[in-house]
Amino acid sequence: MPNRILLIARRDYLQTVQSKAFLLGLVLLPLLFGSGFFALALANKMDTKAQRIAVLDGTGIAAAAVIQACQEATQKAIRETPAALAFAPHYVFEEVKPEADQAAQLLSLSDQIRRGEIFALVDIAPGALHPSGDTSQPDVRYYANSSGLVDPLSLWLPAAVNDGLRHVRLVQLGLDQERVADVMRDDRVVSMNLVGKSPSGAIAGGEKRSLQSGFVAFFLVFLLFVIGTFGSASNLSAVAQDKMQRVFEMLLTSASPFELMAGKVLAAVGACLTSSTLYILAGLAALAGMAMIGLAPLHLIPWFFVYLIADVVLLSALAVALGSACANPQDAQQLAFVLILPLYVPMFLLTPVMQHPNGPLALVTSFIPPFTPVLMLLRQASAAGVPAWQPWLGLLGVVAYGLAVAWAAARVFRIGILSQGKTLKLTDLAQWVLRD
Amino acid sequence: MPVVEISDVTKAFENVTAVDRLSLAVPEGSVYGFIGPNGSGKSTTMRMIVNIIHPDSGTFLVFGEERSGTRSNKIGYLPEERGVYRKMRVRSLLEFYGELRSGRNVTAEVNSWLERLGLASRADDKVETLSKGMSQKIQFIATVIPEPRLLILDEPFTGLDPVSADSIRGAILEMRSRGCTIILSTHEMAVAESLCDSIFMIFRGRKVLDGTLDSIQSRYGSDTIRVEVEGRSNALGHLPGIERINDLGQVQELRMAPGCDSQQVLETLVARTRVISFSVVKPSLHDIFVRIAGPQPEEAASASNAE
Repeated sequence: MPNRILLIARRDYLQTVQSKAFLLGLVLLPLLFGSGFFALALANKMDTKAQRIAVLDGTGIAAAAVIQACQEATQKAIRETPAALAFAPHYVFEEVKPEADQAAQLLSLSDQIRRGEIFALVDIAPGALHPSGDTSQPDVRYYANSSGLVDPLSLWLPAAVNDGLRHVRLVQLGLDQERVADVMRDDRVVSMNLVGKSPSGAIAGGEKRSLQSGFVAFFLVFLLFVIGTFGSASNLSAVAQDKMQRVFEMLLTSASPFELMAGKVLAAVGACLTSSTLYILAGLAALAGMAMIGLAPLHLIPWFFVYLIADVVLLSALAVALGSACANPQDAQQLAFVLILPLYVPMFLLTPVMQHPNGPLALVTSFIPPFTPVLMLLRQASAAGVPAWQPWLGLLGVVAYGLAVAWAAARVFRIGILSQGKTLKLTDLAQWVLRD
Repeated sequence: MPVVEISDVTKAFENVTAVDRLSLAVPEGSVYGFIGPNGSGKSTTMRMIVNIIHPDSGTFLVFGEERSGTRSNKIGYLPEERGVYRKMRVRSLLEFYGELRSGRNVTAEVNSWLERLGLASRADDKVETLSKGMSQKIQFIATVIPEPRLLILDEPFTGLDPVSADSIRGAILEMRSRGCTIILSTHEMAVAESLCDSIFMIFRGRKVLDGTLDSIQSRYGSDTIRVEVEGRSNALGHLPGIERINDLGQVQELRMAPGCDSQQVLETLVARTRVISFSVVKPSLHDIFVRIAGPQPEEAASASNAE
């Protein structure tokens, strides 16, 4: 590699990593990423006040069984939620005896909910144990002050209330408590990884699927997206600024346009590798400190860096070319939007790809070169994994696409840096690519 | 062998011909001045020499060869619209530029130039903290480190105070004495007269003057009278045989019409006022410039009609 490219890369790299924006971003990214979880954990710690839920039992005999089933469900929800994600309020269920004036009692209890004296009300209709078959009227009504969009109780409360009612029905059939408990026993269902063959031919796998390990792998994908996108996109405004300050013309007797561009791309790769290495080392240290190093997806880390380098080369070359075409700060803002917007496409595909990592949508989109780094890594991070050839083929596509983009970008850059005061048209860019 | 040889070069931007069938040769070891009004094609010609833009037709030979790219460790180029990395510190910036061109450590040269142009005390300051004049000196140093064999300076004196301009002028002359060929453009005729071995004037894309100051002045002959009289320009109105009066303040220059006798002009002046000094001289470069680039009689007439 010519020494001039390295000199330009060194200058740009040092300017980037010594800038306030880089140092601030280095601190802000984990803060922003972790703030949601910190907020949940903090809320959990602060949420020491028990939430009272009233059970208005119209049957007169089901309250105790329903309350017991709900309390067991509460404990189960707390037990099965990972500590890091724990956000389970402490619910206390209390029986309320029906009064003669049902409407007035419902109004009074609703007012108590509004005032925050109780959290919710479960209203069991008198005929709930033996419904008439009229499905137009619910047998159990649930009143709460929540919006209904995010209500953790709705995940388990209906099943728990039904368990309580079934318990009463079984007792009424004359079964003793031991047999009722046996009928009502809740069998655990555990998510497992698929079983496969190891390289030696032995059947392996089938371990319990860990939510935490999936979370750590997702963090790696998120890191790739954020660092790749923003580490590269900043090149656009930097090049536009250099062009507007007329820096390039003075450099052109010392370095060719290609050397200038290559140096800038190399500097962006260096800056992105610096920040991502710091984050990954910090993450591994944190996991080791919590005795959770086993959760680290070490097999993905080499792929992470390979994809990061490919992603940054691709995006930086584009950013540098677009930056060179800017005539003023407004151009730079508009083109930054044009550059970044398509990069969000993989983020919109995260959920379907995570749900079906080997489905047709995930398969096809992960082979579209601009999306490959994020989506292929996401698929590799899934419990199902991907066939070994797919990441290599995806990488081949990214490299081929990256070379084509870098070639076109270099042709735009050589003309763009000297084109002053001209408002950009997309047709100009196309002409610059094709011009000798 | 000329360091730069331009043959029949034409360059147009859309509908405007910036340079029209231009030919010139820059002798080795000379200071070659480009003069001409704004937009006449000086910077375009310089950018073509550096190969930043390409001619539509014609050839450029630099050191006897056609150039294929912009990069060359033999050429230093200071563009008219210039900028440097403003966030960098002065010494780092100059070392970066010098090392980029030469591929070697240039710390000693950087220190020497900073000392010479009075910027040693600002070596560790950021460029953005410097005054405009200091920034220009930094840009000049960035262009001359390491010393090139051909130095192309587009308006190097613009915005400089006399002391700074003198220091740059001294540096240019010293580089010439070491064999460097210098092409510079300027709007200051006094600079061109005192600094340049050869002067080239381009007007509306075409070469209108090319040669030494003496040869250019000789072409116009001794048709100028420089006088100093009581009453200054007020005493000079309606002098017979005088085409134009150029009022320089303390002194006035009178351009004689063809066939005008300077003795008759002197007699008329003596009859009008007290003459302090009177000499017949070759026209100044400024006067020649104005004769070529100033409004032509038909243009002046149409302008006055329009008013």
